[in-house]
Amino acid sequence: MTPDPLVRPDLLQGTLDMLVLRTLADEALHGYAIAQRIRLLSGDRLAIPQGSLYPSLRRLENQALLKGEWRTAPSGREARVYQVTAKGRRRLAAELREWRELSVAIGLVLGTS
Amino acid sequence: MRWLLRLLRRRALDRDLDREVRAHLELLTDDLMRSGLSATEARRQAALTLGGVEQVKEASRDARGTHFVEDFLRDVRYALRSLRRSPGFTLAAILTLAVGIGANTAVWSVLDALVWRALPVERSEELHAVRHGAPSDEDPNYLFSYPRRGRLQAALPGSARLGAMSSIGGLYLATGQRNDPVSAQMVSGDWFQVLGVGAGQGRVLNEGDDDEAQAHPVVVLSDVAWARFFGRDPKTVGSTVRLNGQPVTVVGIAEPGFDGLTVGQPVYVWAPLWLQHQVGFYGNFSSNDSDTEKPWLPQDGIAWLTLVTRAPAALTNQVESRLATRYRAELVERFANADSVERTRALQERLQLEPLARGFSPMRAQYGDPLRVLMLSVGLVLLIACANLAGLLMARGAARGQEVAVRVSLGARPGRLLRQGLSESLTLAALGGLVSVAVAWLGGLGLLRAASPTSRPVSLSLALDARVLGFAAILALVTGLLFGLAPALRAARAAPFGAAATGVRVTHRLPLGRVLVASQLALSLVLVAAASLFVKTLGNYLRVDPGYAADQIVEARIEPRVAGYKYEELPGLYRRLLDAVGAVPGVRSVGLSLYGLGTGAVRLGGFRIPGDTRGSRQGQENYVTPGYFATVGMVLVRGREFTAADRDGLPRVSVVSQAFARHFWGTDDVVGRHFGYGEPQFEVVGVVRDARVNRVKQAIPRMVFHPLAQAPQEYALSVEARVAGDAGAIVAAVRAAIAKAQPDLPIRDVVMVSDLLERGLSREKLLARLAGVFSAMALLLAAIGLYGVVAYSVAQRSNEMGIRLALGAVPWKIWRMVLGDSLGMVVVGLGAGLLLWLPVQGLVRNLVFGLSPTDPGTLSFAVLLLALVGILAASLPAWRAARVDPAQALRGQ
Repeated sequence: MTPDPLVRPDLLQGTLDMLVLRTLADEALHGYAIAQRIRLLSGDRLAIPQGSLYPSLRRLENQALLKGEWRTAPSGREARVYQVTAKGRRRLAAELREWRELSVAIGLVLGTS
Repeated sequence: MRWLLRLLRRRALDRDLDREVRAHLELLTDDLMRSGLSATEARRQAALTLGGVEQVKEASRDARGTHFVEDFLRDVRYALRSLRRSPGFTLAAILTLAVGIGANTAVWSVLDALVWRALPVERSEELHAVRHGAPSDEDPNYLFSYPRRGRLQAALPGSARLGAMSSIGGLYLATGQRNDPVSAQMVSGDWFQVLGVGAGQGRVLNEGDDDEAQAHPVVVLSDVAWARFFGRDPKTVGSTVRLNGQPVTVVGIAEPGFDGLTVGQPVYVWAPLWLQHQVGFYGNFSSNDSDTEKPWLPQDGIAWLTLVTRAPAALTNQVESRLATRYRAELVERFANADSVERTRALQERLQLEPLARGFSPMRAQYGDPLRVLMLSVGLVLLIACANLAGLLMARGAARGQEVAVRVSLGARPGRLLRQGLSESLTLAALGGLVSVAVAWLGGLGLLRAASPTSRPVSLSLALDARVLGFAAILALVTGLLFGLAPALRAARAAPFGAAATGVRVTHRLPLGRVLVASQLALSLVLVAAASLFVKTLGNYLRVDPGYAADQIVEARIEPRVAGYKYEELPGLYRRLLDAVGAVPGVRSVGLSLYGLGTGAVRLGGFRIPGDTRGSRQGQENYVTPGYFATVGMVLVRGREFTAADRDGLPRVSVVSQAFARHFWGTDDVVGRHFGYGEPQFEVVGVVRDARVNRVKQAIPRMVFHPLAQAPQEYALSVEARVAGDAGAIVAAVRAAIAKAQPDLPIRDVVMVSDLLERGLSREKLLARLAGVFSAMALLLAAIGLYGVVAYSVAQRSNEMGIRLALGAVPWKIWRMVLGDSLGMVVVGLGAGLLLWLPVQGLVRNLVFGLSPTDPGTLSFAVLLLALVGILAASLPAWRAARVDPAQALRGQ
């Protein structure tokens, strides 16, 4: 049995943006697929509040980290698919580096590493 | 940039968002259905998971970062709707603002064009004019001779140039059939180069045009002249025109927008310096041991050129010191043999560079201060109008108390209410600002016309450019905040509905409104006092006795030199003019003079009297015909008039004024004494009473009159006719008589001298008129403001009045109570106004004549007028308060 997903409405804005960016780094996806993918990648542990997904996508798009375009899926459905831009990749790299440093530091303080 | 794009594309983005969120919802619903839920249940679950389509969209819209503007637009739409509901208030407010902002912008645009705007040349801050003079001199001297310009030029480092230009003078430009008077300026070939001004067509003058022996006579026209006289004909460049009869070739048109260095006095034609003699150009000059009838160019004794140079800030000091050193060396050399007094005086002279970024302007000196005073007045009027609008908005806010209370109860935050209140006042201000542009444009033109010394308005470009429009926009914004902030703050503090509906009517006495009214009265007092001073000043000037019969003299200004008369033809011309004008019905006697009365044209001479060790002293000269003094009505106090016996070839005689006689000899009993330029060549035969021959405002000059007949090389420029009866009707007859007798003689103007003197008071008239209008506006606004506040408080207290009356109060006591209450505001306001007058009076000190800026009579008049207006404005609502029907007032509770 899979554990109940941790729905975290208070997920920090910056964290959500980073998750979205990381998810899109491998493949261009539409909004619903992003939510599914995050849940899948976290082993069903992390379900992002789907309502916050779109403001996050807008923010990233406004900063030109993402680029969205309408595409027609093989099923005939239209969907807005997002792609990480070069600027987005640079930002992601920087954010990941920061995250690693931070988690190591926090781990040291909490004595878990 | 992208932000703006998002703002503009917000509808498309909204649609996109909607599609996207709906697509998400469908995918989610499909998945849920696949996991076995019913369609209805799946849709419900999907909506729950997503959190509501509209909420998601709202949150995403906020992420767009443009909601501030979107909210603002919504506020503006709301404001427009609410303003449309009270059209009377809206119209009054917009009109008040349009007039207020427009008048401010008009005065500002003239002030800007005249006083602040830089010349339309590149890096104008590098331009400098060269001036010289002793520190004690009243006016700096800008004139140099051509040879001296060459010597100063030689002292300059590297490629620095001294461009030379004459004053601006009148010449006639003939093209085909036309012969138009134009303003012309003689300039050196490098002048355009120094200024960095190029040609719009053809070429400008260059140094090749300077060489009299090689060069062909050429001219450059201004763009305006090209348009006015040639209709922008492309064949103008290369064509030949005549300048005062002399054929010259037009080689180019200066770049559009450039019309010389004197603000308000555009130049139409530029010609090389050496053409001065050929075309007979006689602008301003000062001469010393020289013959002004010979070409001026080679003569070192004729100073007629103003020098301009371009020096970057880093080099200014170097250029100035080189020029000053060279100039001083010349002075030392020239006065080496002069007596010590004269040498000491001459060596006090200094040469300096003066920044020329804003050009020259005789109007600036005359109108700078008046315009500043007007700017202040019109600013105060706007301030008073703001106070009124603030009061009106507050009263409106109070009337809408219920609506605001409901909104507060429904959860409107104070910040939101504040923003909404402000957006209403800013919307009003913006609308007023839009209308004000028309007011500003018309007002600016009117102002210029009023400020122009002649009937032709001064040419000053008052384009509605970005500067002017920007000023109006900023003013509208500031105004909107000014009158909107207090009412908006009050609205934002509103209590929720429950508190407002307790039934206990809170009586607002509008303490802020009372302060506003008192300040309005204070500011109005300042304006009314200033306006009364200016009106009295104008009256004082008009009552000044010029010392001659100005209202009985018709003066014709003629130009025999331009018409090409030779010296030997002049006596005949003069005789024909005297006969022709003398024969006009109503003309009692006629005289001729070099310079007419009240024209402001002045020739100064340096005179010596035997035995005076202080060197030469200045007197003003004129040349007149026999009978001139009797004709113009100047009173002879000693000796005799000139007669036909004072002919050329006989010993020279002169008549001096009392001021001249007293200045030189200490007495006016000087008939028979001698004086002269160097040698004592003139004998005094008469003394006349002092007269203001220049302009009424100018000091009484020390006059020397010579017989015209003894100066055969002087051209009389003015015909004076003493008339009986209605002088106005004779003006046309005099013009016709001259035109008939001498068809080839250009007549510049035929006017009554009293009109001419009045024109010299254009500044005083402008001030009196405009300050009067502004103070009337202020008075009206203040009265409306006072009325509004009293009426509002009476309306608020109507049940109190009703109770008082029901309990037996006498109506007139109610009336007195309300009035007494308002008089408090009036007294405080007027007291504050008098205090405010103390710093203001210094500003107008130089603009009043014949009375002090703290003239008790004027100030008491202003105070009484305002008190009266205050009492009247408060009486009406007070009267209404006393007539409240007690029964109705109590029922209204």
